[in-house]
Amino acid sequence: MSTPISSRKALHEWKLYLFIVPAIILVGVFCYFPAASAIYHSFFRWSGGTTKEFIGLQNFRDALGDRIFWYSFWVIAILVVSNVIKLVPSILMAVLIHRLKSDRWQYLYRVGVVLPMIVPGLVTLFIWKFFFDPTQGALNGFLDATGLKAMLVWLDGMMGWDVFHEGIPIAWLGEPDLIIPSLIIWGFPWIGAVGVLIYLAGLQSIGTEVYEAAELDGASSWQKFRFVEFPLIMTQVRLSLVMLIIATLQGFGLQFLLLGQDGGPGGRGMVPGLWMFNRAFLAGEFGYACALGIFLFVFILGLTWINNRYVRVEK
Amino acid sequence: MSESSSPAKLDAVTAKRPSDLGKHLVLLLLLGISLFPFYMMIQISLKDNSLFFANPWLPNAPDTWKWGNYLYAMRLILPYVANTVVVSVTATAGCLAISIFGAYFFARYKMPFGGFLWAAFLLLMLMPGVANIVPLFAVLKGLGLLNTLWALILLGVSGGIVFTMYVLRNFIEDIPKDLFEAAEIDGASHFHQIRNVVIPMSGSIIGTLAILTFLNTWNDFLMPLIVLRDPQLFTIGVGLIYLDGEYVKPWGQIMAAFFVASLPLIIIFMFMMKLFIRGLSAGAVKG
Repeated sequence: MSTPISSRKALHEWKLYLFIVPAIILVGVFCYFPAASAIYHSFFRWSGGTTKEFIGLQNFRDALGDRIFWYSFWVIAILVVSNVIKLVPSILMAVLIHRLKSDRWQYLYRVGVVLPMIVPGLVTLFIWKFFFDPTQGALNGFLDATGLKAMLVWLDGMMGWDVFHEGIPIAWLGEPDLIIPSLIIWGFPWIGAVGVLIYLAGLQSIGTEVYEAAELDGASSWQKFRFVEFPLIMTQVRLSLVMLIIATLQGFGLQFLLLGQDGGPGGRGMVPGLWMFNRAFLAGEFGYACALGIFLFVFILGLTWINNRYVRVEK
Repeated sequence: MSESSSPAKLDAVTAKRPSDLGKHLVLLLLLGISLFPFYMMIQISLKDNSLFFANPWLPNAPDTWKWGNYLYAMRLILPYVANTVVVSVTATAGCLAISIFGAYFFARYKMPFGGFLWAAFLLLMLMPGVANIVPLFAVLKGLGLLNTLWALILLGVSGGIVFTMYVLRNFIEDIPKDLFEAAEIDGASHFHQIRNVVIPMSGSIIGTLAILTFLNTWNDFLMPLIVLRDPQLFTIGVGLIYLDGEYVKPWGQIMAAFFVASLPLIIIFMFMMKLFIRGLSAGAVKG
């Protein structure tokens, strides 16, 4: 902890305040002022220029009746659930690496896990966009070559999806019903470097005696995971869960890059952040976009509160 | 953080299984699929479209490699790389300098108003960045910073300060008080204490934070997209977005451009891999 200080000494040490001034100025100008300005402008009809018209709560009323905005929260809900499931491969990978006998291999796999991270996320995303290309993409090529396409067509016939057809390339990013599936499957098998490293660090804190006890009880591999390893990395899993949910709520780069400003055909991939961006920079409704941003902020704040209250992360 | 686990523990982990073959198979499969996109990037980057359509999956013989793709990519991407390096390096240095001073302020003494200021900084971690984009645009416009790299530098610094300061404060508070007191008795000013006590004691975490800040600015494409109009100022992110927007797709050239765009990070990581893995794991344990 920082040392308590008497007010006389603090007065003597006034120069210390100079240390914090640059941070205050920058954060004030580029974080707090815009936030205050967003709240202020959410009561106006404003298109970014100098003219604006006070309209009271109209923007908020419009937002409540905005079907696209509500739909975007539905998309977010689906993405959050799928992102939770997507944690599984990383956990599996961390456990498998941890259980390897050879330290050398453990290290090599760690390096392998970090490798994809050094390619900019944007590039990975664009390569996936290329994979999704209906005629030239690797995904359709793979499905055709392995005969999985025929299986999808058959499944389609059974379920009546009307999205997979014999002889027609699958338009992953062009067919409205495939937009959300595409947003989910990109990045398969969803190994997150940071996640794996965090879990590995957690696993390493498991003591020998725990494993020996499990051995003596004749625990199976699954039981060891269920009763020894998983409970001990629970903290890390929760931590990445929280970060993931907040990132999913705020993010719209993925949707923007894969689908464009309108959220793809039929706006099926629209998320709140993208809708805000769209209203501001496409429609020029800056005031309305500010109001949407405040809704989003309150929503995230609420979730954070629930999280702090009920999902305790023990340190 | 020690890399190695004790042999006793490893025996206990794996006592009943004679070999790790199954695990290796699963791990290699997972890694293989994860790395597949980059394999495709590299092998396609050496083909033109007709070679690619004829043979999309496997690399061609070296004598057919189209090095021209890389010429095109370098001409296109290198100016963007230069801009991105300027922005990321300056923003990282600025962010760390300001954060170290700020963290020292909070960690050294309980100054009057310190608690209030700290709470005000932490509140920012909860604010969704997206909500601020619109007014931020207006602020930058008002300051005459639209279409400049300065805008990106300032945003990179202010965006990274809070998190960096948060982590650093905890580290500085863990430094034994005696060191500061000894330095003070020797007549060291606060500035000297930072230079001679704080920086040597928290070197590895500063390195990790530098990498994280650098990566954040390096990978950002949203603010550059909003702020920059002039193609000469484009950073990698915006450049790639415009490249993706082209109607006709010469895949070979595009993949070569992707590869060139990834190179700087690959080079940096070759030198810092150890630091990075260790830093991330250590940071994770601290929570």
